Parts: sequence; C-alpha cells; structure tokens
Amino acid sequence: MLAYSLRRLLVAIPTILLLIVACFFLMHFAPGGPFTSERPLPPAVLANIEARYGLDQPLWKQLWDYLYNIVVHFDFGPSFKFKDRDVNDIIAQGFPISLTYGSLSFLVATAVGVSLGIAAAIKHNSWIDYFAVGLGIAAQALPNFIMGPILILTFTLWLGWLPGGGWNGGQWQYLIMPVIALATSYMGSIARITRSSMLEVLNSNFIRTARAKGLPTRTVIWRHALKPTLLPVVSYLGPVFVYVLTGSVFVDIYFSTGGLGQAYVGSALSRDYAVLLGVTILYGALTVVVNLLTDLAYAWFDPKIRY
Amino acid sequence: MNKVIRTSLAGLLTSTFMTGAAFAAGTHPETGEALADDQTFTYRILDEHSSVDPQVVEDVSGAEIVRDLFEGLMNQDEDGNLVPGVSTGYTTNESKDVYTFALRDDAKWSNGDPVTAGDFVYAWKRAVDPALSSPYAWFMELMSIENAASIIAGETPVDELGVKAIDDKTLEVTLSAPLPYFPQMTTHSTTFPAPQKVIEEFGDAWTKPENIVSNGAYVLTEHLPQERSVRERNEMYWDNDNTIIDTVVSLVINDENVALTRYLAGELDRTEIPAGQYPRLKQEHPVEAISFPRLCNYYYTFNVSDGGPEAFKDPNVRQALSLAVDRKIITEKVLAGGQPQAYTFAPEATAGFTVPAVEMASMSQAERDELAKELLAEAGYGPDNPLSFEMVYNTAENHKKVAVALSQMWKQKLGVQAELANMEWKVFLEERGNQNFDLARGAWCGDYNEASTFLDLLQSDSGYNDGKFANARVDELLAEAKTSDDPAPLYTEVERIIAQETPVIPIYHYAGVYMMDSDVGNWPVNNVEQNWYSKNLYKLAE
Repeated sequence: MLAYSLRRLLVAIPTILLLIVACFFLMHFAPGGPFTSERPLPPAVLANIEARYGLDQPLWKQLWDYLYNIVVHFDFGPSFKFKDRDVNDIIAQGFPISLTYGSLSFLVATAVGVSLGIAAAIKHNSWIDYFAVGLGIAAQALPNFIMGPILILTFTLWLGWLPGGGWNGGQWQYLIMPVIALATSYMGSIARITRSSMLEVLNSNFIRTARAKGLPTRTVIWRHALKPTLLPVVSYLGPVFVYVLTGSVFVDIYFSTGGLGQAYVGSALSRDYAVLLGVTILYGALTVVVNLLTDLAYAWFDPKIRY
Repeated sequence: MNKVIRTSLAGLLTSTFMTGAAFAAGTHPETGEALADDQTFTYRILDEHSSVDPQVVEDVSGAEIVRDLFEGLMNQDEDGNLVPGVSTGYTTNESKDVYTFALRDDAKWSNGDPVTAGDFVYAWKRAVDPALSSPYAWFMELMSIENAASIIAGETPVDELGVKAIDDKTLEVTLSAPLPYFPQMTTHSTTFPAPQKVIEEFGDAWTKPENIVSNGAYVLTEHLPQERSVRERNEMYWDNDNTIIDTVVSLVINDENVALTRYLAGELDRTEIPAGQYPRLKQEHPVEAISFPRLCNYYYTFNVSDGGPEAFKDPNVRQALSLAVDRKIITEKVLAGGQPQAYTFAPEATAGFTVPAVEMASMSQAERDELAKELLAEAGYGPDNPLSFEMVYNTAENHKKVAVALSQMWKQKLGVQAELANMEWKVFLEERGNQNFDLARGAWCGDYNEASTFLDLLQSDSGYNDGKFANARVDELLAEAKTSDDPAPLYTEVERIIAQETPVIPIYHYAGVYMMDSDVGNWPVNNVEQNWYSKNLYKLAE
C-alpha cells in the first residue's frame, strides 16, 4: 500500500505542474492585467510597478521564476493588490478558516446523512422512511446559495438569534449558519445513497444467512451490513470533501468569514495572478490527496480490494 | 440577546477603564446631546481595502481608514472646507508656486515621537520614488510638485523633489506651476506623513497592527483580512481630548443585501442601500434612509477617435442621442435613490462651479425628443436608414438596468438600434482604453473638490479621455483655468462647449444612499467628497 501511495503521489507532480502551466497561461491571456484601472497609470509609473514584480519579463521567464521560487523557497509570490501581504500570508490566514467550515460541514453532512439513510432503510416503507426520503430530497434541492439567504433572514433578521456573518475567532454562533448552508445539499445526497445501498445490502445472501443463524438485528446491521453499505458512500465522500472546501467560496463571501473564498474570487477579478495561482494549486493538491485517501479507504471497507 | 451582552460588556469595560473615554456616559460638549456609553462605530465596506499605507493605498475604503490612522497637513470639515490638520496654516508667495506650511508643536506619532516636517518630506519623496512604485504617484504629479514627473519617470534623483524641511516645524513646497487649489490637495492620503524609522525596520509589513505607528486620531489594533479591521483612539493624538468615538470597526461584506440584513438586525451603524430599495426603506425607516449628492458623475462616452463609428463624428447625432435620454425616468424610476439628473459633466455639487444654463436642461422632455428627431433626420438617419451601434458597460445589475432603459428610449423615440454588450471590469477597461467601442459607460469621482478633476477628462491629451474627444478651445480654457484666480467662468464655458459638442452623455450624478443608524451623530452629509473622519462623529444615547 505504501508503494501504491508513493506511486500515486509521484503521478500527482506532473498533474499539478500541468495545472499550474495551464492556469498561468489562461490567466495571462485574459484581457486586462493587475494594474489596469479606471485611472490608467502613467506609463512611467506602470513601468516601475511592472519592473518591481518582474512583469516586464517574457512569460516563459515569469513562469520559470514562479516555479523556481515555489520549489526552492516555497514562496508563492507577492499579492499585487494587498501590498503588505504575500500569497503565503493570505493562504496561511484564510485557509484554516475555510478548512474549519469545510470540515465541520463535511462531518455534519456525513453524520446526519448516513444516520438518516440507515434509519430509512431499516424502517423501510414506514413513516420514518418517508420522512427521511422527503427530507433528503428537499435538502438536495437546496444548494448553499439558496440556504444562505433563507438562514440569514430567519435567524438573523426575524429571530435575532445568530450574527449574520463574520468569524470572530471561530465562536460557535458564527459557525452555525455557514456550516448548515454548506452541508445541507450534500447531506441530502448522502442520505439517499446510504438508504439505497443499505436496502440492497439488506437483501443480499450473506445478510439472509446472518439472520437465519439467529443473530440479533443490531448485530446484523452493525457488524455485517454497515461496511458494505458505506462503500458507495465513501466513493461519494471523497469528491464531497473537495466540494465543501471549494463550495466554501460562496459561504466565505456570503457570510464574510475571512476564509479563502473572498481572496480567491477577488484575485480572479483583480488579476492578482500569484494569489489566484496559489489558491488554485492548493485546491488542486488537496483534490489529489483526497482522491488518494478515498482510494485507500476502499481497501479498508472492502477486503476484496488490494493495492 | 447577543447584542445586549456585548453592549453591556463594553459598557462595563469602559466604566472600568476610563482611559480616554472622557465622554462616555456624558454629553456632547457643543450640542449638549446625551452620548451613548459605547462609542463604537461599525460600518460595512464592500471589499477588502488595498492597504493602509498612505502612499500606497488606492481604494476608497482604504483611504477612509487611512484618514483615521494618519493626519495630513490639512483636513476637511463637515462641509468639505479646509481646516488645519498637522499644519496650523500656510503662506504662499505672490506667484503661488511656493507654499510654506507651519506645523503644530503638539502633533505626535502614536509612539510618542513628534511629527516633523521631515516626516512629510520623507513621505512625499517616498510617493514618487520608483523603488516604491506607488499606484498613486501620479497624484504628486497632479499636485505640480517640482520634478515629480521626472522623478517618477526615473530621470531625476528622488532627492530633487520640490519639498524641503526648513526646520522641524516648517515645510516648504515648490511647484512647477502655480496651483491655486494646492492646499485642498493636501487632504489626500497620498500626502500624509510616514514614519521612516518604522518603515525601514519592518519593510512592507510595517502596516500590520503589531508594527504600525501612525499620527492620526486612531491606531490600528486588529486586522483580519477579508473580515474586519478595528481601530482605536490614539492617546498620543494632539486633539484626543475632543475625540468622542473610541473604536471604529469596518466589516467586509461583499453582498449588499446581506449587509442590509445585518444592518437591520442591528449589527452595523452604516451600510449602502442597494439600487431600487431606497423608496421602500425611506418609507419604513424615514430617519435612517438618507440620500445626499456626491462628487461623482455617470455618463456614456462616444468613441470619436478615427477608428470610431462614422455616425458619431457628427455632433448632431451625438446631441440627438443625449436629448432623447429621459433622465427623470432613470433617476426616479430605475435608480430611485435620490440621484440628481445630469446635464453637465461636472456635478452641481462641485465647489466654486457655476452650472451653466445648458439649453437642454430648460426644455421639456417632449421638446427634447422633438429636437432629437430633427437633428437625427438632419444627419441622414431615419426609418429607412436607422442608426445602429453597440453600447458597452461593465457587468453589474445597476449598469444593465440603465443601459436597457437607454436603449429602449432610443429605440422608441428615434428608431435607433443600440445593441447592449456587457464585459467583466478589467476587460471593459482594456477595450475602452483601446477605443474598441462605439458608446461606452463611464463614471468618475472627483480626486479633489474642484471642477477640473472632471473636466480634465475631456482634455485632448488626457490619459482618461477614452472617447478621444479633442477640442482646441476646451484645451485652451482648461490650461488657463490651472493658473487663474477665478476659474469658474472658464469651467462654465467648457461645459457650454461640451453641451454643444456632446462628446459624452451625462446621465446622472451620484448620490450617497445609506442606511445610517439614527444614533450616529454628525455624519458629514454636506461633504460631497465624503471625506469623513471618525474623530468628528459620535454616538447618541438611545
């Protein structure tokens, strides 16, 4: 398994390199640059700025310097917009916040979704099942950009229970709404996948055998049915983790969390090249790692899979 | 509930530590109004500010913070008039090209060091230094400071900038040409002093809360980028005894509707009103919804360059299109935020600017439409030969609404086919700057309160003249205005030529449309530049 992991990580290097090169050129081909502004800078001033950031160099040289600084100094470059911070600062400050929202949403979506799905499958065709299925479908139809306004109107404006946004050191009051907004639709999908997978497993031969030899239902479910049930769920959870992290872009902006989302979108609009590339690389690397972890998790859930 | 806890906690803190909170639980020294215990002013900003470095900052919300943290030679009062800042006053020579500023003795940096003329010399040289490459270096050039232009271009050493410290408390500035409104320009953040020792010690990181030293009424105490920035009163500030607000919090909220919701939930003292919502909010919150004129214009510019459409080279066509725009519908129905209709390029609110009697302004809309039809027919356009062109604007809901209204007015009244095209901001700037358009949206906010900040845009060699309008008489008048003691009649004549030639279609002048908590005292609604200082505000007891 170790050899497999190493091999996967090695393959990831050219993948990420390709991502960097593609993004780099796409970004530079977009019209306008970081210093295009409504008040065009006098050519002398613009020349000074471009010289300072090396933007007067040919593109291949800029790309080379960029890669060199990452590999040798782990330096992702300066921000053109925020003069007192570089990309490393921006990521170091914003990513932990985005990660907090993303991980909490992931946990909530998984825990609630899986429980709901299992409950529905065990009590198949009962009111619990109908309730869980109804809730799952409703939740799935509520993406974060719909949930955000609904939550904020309800809990901030009408009830006055929760602050409408901000981070404030990550106090729990500030976490609730963004986490719910982000988790809801994934929770719905997870519940549906879990339910149908569990139903299928419960109808399989080895469960019938387990029941036939007189095992109590509790043991049948927990010991025998759960692991195979979760296999398709796990394959879905990998992408979900990436989705909640990138999906937090919306939540970051809507709830003004101070996470990476605002910096990410803002950098695209203001052509803050290094910030945009830095965050893209981060999300790209994260996707690679999460996919690897998902594959490794398969082996644990299904002994038939070997690496 | 949360707010109650916070407020009482803050009250407890202020009563425990009375430092600098001399006015808490007191009354206002001048008006006698009862003041709130908690003197915290919290407001929304649209986007993370670019910097709080006075020579580097380039956005409005950053400049607002810098005005609290630093203090320049002169300040503005509630009405936008010049009042002493670090300088107590200035003298000038007869030819108005040398200004001498006397600095007050009690001005101090937040670390206790005195503010000296040398701090200004350092800052101004820093602003033009190619090594810093400040995006606002052009402002020093605009101020006509001797050698500024050639230093920026790298042709002259920085030390030759026309500014020197006669002694610690006297600053002398030499201009390359006389400039009557020079002192007004010293309220701009680029001209604020900078702490040399601190900048040299920390480099680019000097503006972080743990490093920064500033000379304004407030010091930066907390900054979580993209979320909040907090500034608290500077005990070393020379006028600290008369400062009432203790803490100022700016919260970054990108979405204006979320900001409004958070305002209504009591989290903010001030926020912008989204377009179209002013009438409703005014009805529901008559005291809190406010609208007042601002020093910004909104217009469409014709591309009259060689590469532009043939039709727009005819002034009759341009004038016809301008006449057919029903500005009343745009300001009252589309925007509905109390914006003034525009018939001139410079806003009426501009100081010392007399709005000329532009013919169009005195006509009824029906008369304008009639004249527009005649002019267009004269130019050879009509039902058989309809005029068609493309109009571009940067992607935004408001701009789209205005563009749709304009194209409909033209279509219905004149049979003109205007095709709408929107572009993302940077693409739009690039295309407009390269004259790749027929008709393009434009807007401008004054850098200082004087008509030239607007009218200079129509000077033939201006870098901001994207439509490439060129009129020798306009150039002549604007050049003359630069050194004239009474430029008002010159500006009036420029506007008359603009009305005749119509290189642009002025549509409306901006209004500041805010929700402002009724507890906030002394918001400078009459300062059209909206150069506000937290030290002049206060919070009333509820």
